[in-house]
Amino acid sequence: MIRFDNVSYSTNGIKIISDVSFEIKKGDFTALIGANGAGKSTLTRLCNGLLKPCRGAVNVGGFDTALVRTSRIAKFTGFLFQNPDRQICKNRVRDEIRFSLECVMEDRAEIEMRCERTLKEFSLDGERDPFSMSRGERQRLVLASILATEPELLLLDEPTTGLDYRECMHIMECISVINRKGATVLMVSHDMEIVQDFAREVMVLNDGSLLAHGRTKDIIRDEPLLARASLLPPQITELALRLGAGYENVVTVDDMVSAVKKKRGVAE
Amino acid sequence: MIRISGLSFKYDGGREEALKNIDMTVCRGDFLGVIGSSGAGKTTLLHAINGIIPHHFHGDYYGSVEVNGSDTVDNKPEQLAGTVGSVRQDFESQMVSSVVEDEILFGLENFSVPRDEIEKRMTDALDKTGIRNLRERNIATLSGGQKQKVAISAIIALMPDVLVLDEPTGELDPQSSRQIFQLLRELNEKHGITIVVVEQKIMLLCEFARKLAVMETGRVILQGAVADVLKKSREMESAGVNCPRVATLADRLRDENLYMGRIPVNIPEAEKMVRSITL
Amino acid sequence: MGGFLDYSPGDSFLHRLNPLTKIFLSLMLCVSCFVTDSSIFCFMIILLNISMAAVAGISSRALAMLRTLIKFCAFLFLIQIFFIREGNILLSLPFNIYVTDKGFMFSLMMVLRLIVATLPLALMLSITKMNDLSNVLVGRMGIPYKYAFSLTTAIRFIPVFTAEMAGIIEAQTARGVAFDTKNIFKKIGLIFPLCVPLLITSVRKIEGAAISAELRGFNCRKRESGYKSYPFRTADIGVSIFALTLAAAGAFVPF
Repeated sequence: MIRFDNVSYSTNGIKIISDVSFEIKKGDFTALIGANGAGKSTLTRLCNGLLKPCRGAVNVGGFDTALVRTSRIAKFTGFLFQNPDRQICKNRVRDEIRFSLECVMEDRAEIEMRCERTLKEFSLDGERDPFSMSRGERQRLVLASILATEPELLLLDEPTTGLDYRECMHIMECISVINRKGATVLMVSHDMEIVQDFAREVMVLNDGSLLAHGRTKDIIRDEPLLARASLLPPQITELALRLGAGYENVVTVDDMVSAVKKKRGVAE
Repeated sequence: MIRISGLSFKYDGGREEALKNIDMTVCRGDFLGVIGSSGAGKTTLLHAINGIIPHHFHGDYYGSVEVNGSDTVDNKPEQLAGTVGSVRQDFESQMVSSVVEDEILFGLENFSVPRDEIEKRMTDALDKTGIRNLRERNIATLSGGQKQKVAISAIIALMPDVLVLDEPTGELDPQSSRQIFQLLRELNEKHGITIVVVEQKIMLLCEFARKLAVMETGRVILQGAVADVLKKSREMESAGVNCPRVATLADRLRDENLYMGRIPVNIPEAEKMVRSITL
Repeated sequence: MGGFLDYSPGDSFLHRLNPLTKIFLSLMLCVSCFVTDSSIFCFMIILLNISMAAVAGISSRALAMLRTLIKFCAFLFLIQIFFIREGNILLSLPFNIYVTDKGFMFSLMMVLRLIVATLPLALMLSITKMNDLSNVLVGRMGIPYKYAFSLTTAIRFIPVFTAEMAGIIEAQTARGVAFDTKNIFKKIGLIFPLCVPLLITSVRKIEGAAISAELRGFNCRKRESGYKSYPFRTADIGVSIFALTLAAAGAFVPF
């Protein structure tokens, strides 16, 4: 779905991405992690053509991003930004979803049908003014308007910033569902707990270079690797690493409880 | 220090009360963390403490808020500013100057602090936040974490007794967030400033704050020492608030009758807890 | 374009001048080009401006600004030049369009004056701290603090809103709004999806700024509150006389 071949990107004389190559297959759910300034936001923007590579090639869904207009790529990709307020431009929820659909298709009947379906799926009140909603609700509206277009690729730049726990889980569940339906997801996140709970693969970026690309369960246990990118493992994983033998497969709280019970059973 | 009695407030044009009958006391030297899902009333509560409510935002106001004996209804925000300093999440709109030094000067000039004292307060504030080397820097070139430190510095130059912060690390990465909390701990423990901080990052709150208050739809449903509040993880979850995983773990181990001790608030404590069980 | 009014720190001769002197200088440079009819004089003023920018260490910014201004002015130049029909024909084009010598001179002067109206002031603001500007307006010119503060805040918010607008364009492009179209008329029509988000964010930020200022004692400020004083030194007087001379020279220059 996404292929980077020796991609480099610089701006104002500063190199932000250096010689990065990787491939993300259709249906993957990949998290992109790294310290601040590592280049994660830039990399996601290279994925849908908002930025064009200075060297190398980015291929998305079969299109070379340097040769195709971003608005063309937008027809099958969706991008959820940190700040929902930059995208909302109508003063009724229904109009906002409709506008999103109008940007990528022309069949009026299809647009109306999808609009109503999305409102129902996300339990949104079509008549509400988006700006009377909380930030979490607005983020959910933007996600809904993106998912209404049924994108094959979903790019997320720290989508849960500023959201409370409940809203955060809501958004991540929606994203999980669409991934199970076949959409490819690439998500930038600082929250290691979310990465652990939702992403199946992880890419670690540091100073513009790709340090690692592998399964989540392997990478989050690799403390030295994470330390190079100024990151810490998720809480339970870090605890398991400190406890050592007998806790190798511990990921969730439940796993930890089982492991403790087992150890105690052995001691008794 | 801060006494809130029976506080209820409904914004002009609001659908329902944003705050419902809040009773809360914050003692001198406390480090209180406030958490709750969005719309719970956390920002409204902070505005009631620094006087923005009722002086800037009007509405139906019942009950009272007293800060160091001064009632916030009788005193305008600028009169309270000497006691309560406020830092907001959106640091871009907080800044008024091009250069760090001028930013700190702004408040000092406004309050006509005597000229000979200004320099002393400025260096004091910069030292306390550890950004003396940034004094001449252009604010636009600073990182998010540094900008937030500048904002805190500018407020503590006014020497408030209480520092009230509204999601100060909302836009910051984990490292910078941790630095800000370490700074808050220093201001609290070394300089005796009372801290009230609203945050979504429960792990940091539990690690650094000593008291916790959980809000839901305008009410304070739980308050007390961090370890005591964390015991009630089910109530926290139904209020839409996340519990740190190590606390959830302790809860589960307690359910299995394996652990009856103090709830851990960080990894080292959690390690001690597990080792004590499996010994 | 975002940071073009950002303060550029430095310790040059120009940096150390009184903010009022700097404003006066840029004003006189502007006036000098409006009272003259000589395009050569205007070119010289622009060159002087660039060299002043070099002294202050902001020559790259000045040249970037000049480039943008020239691009904008080239467009205006072309429109203007075809409208003037008097004078001797220099160049004849189909459809009865022609370029005359008077038309050329007039359009050139217009463009030069436009550049001189913008460039000096923008450069002066780049080497003046906003705090100094508002303090000197209050302390020396007696303007109420509220107005001086509004002015400097407005200037300070320009890069914030520019960045916001860039973010909005990015978000809308990502959803399929064709901002990257080459068709300029289509581009203009796309302004509307920009307005709502920009307006909402602007209002929110401004209210946030107002609340913050209030909490930091904005309403208590008096005229004498300013910490720094801004004396007029010999350099300031010298530069002011120089500026006045330039303005006068413009009127009497023989070429």
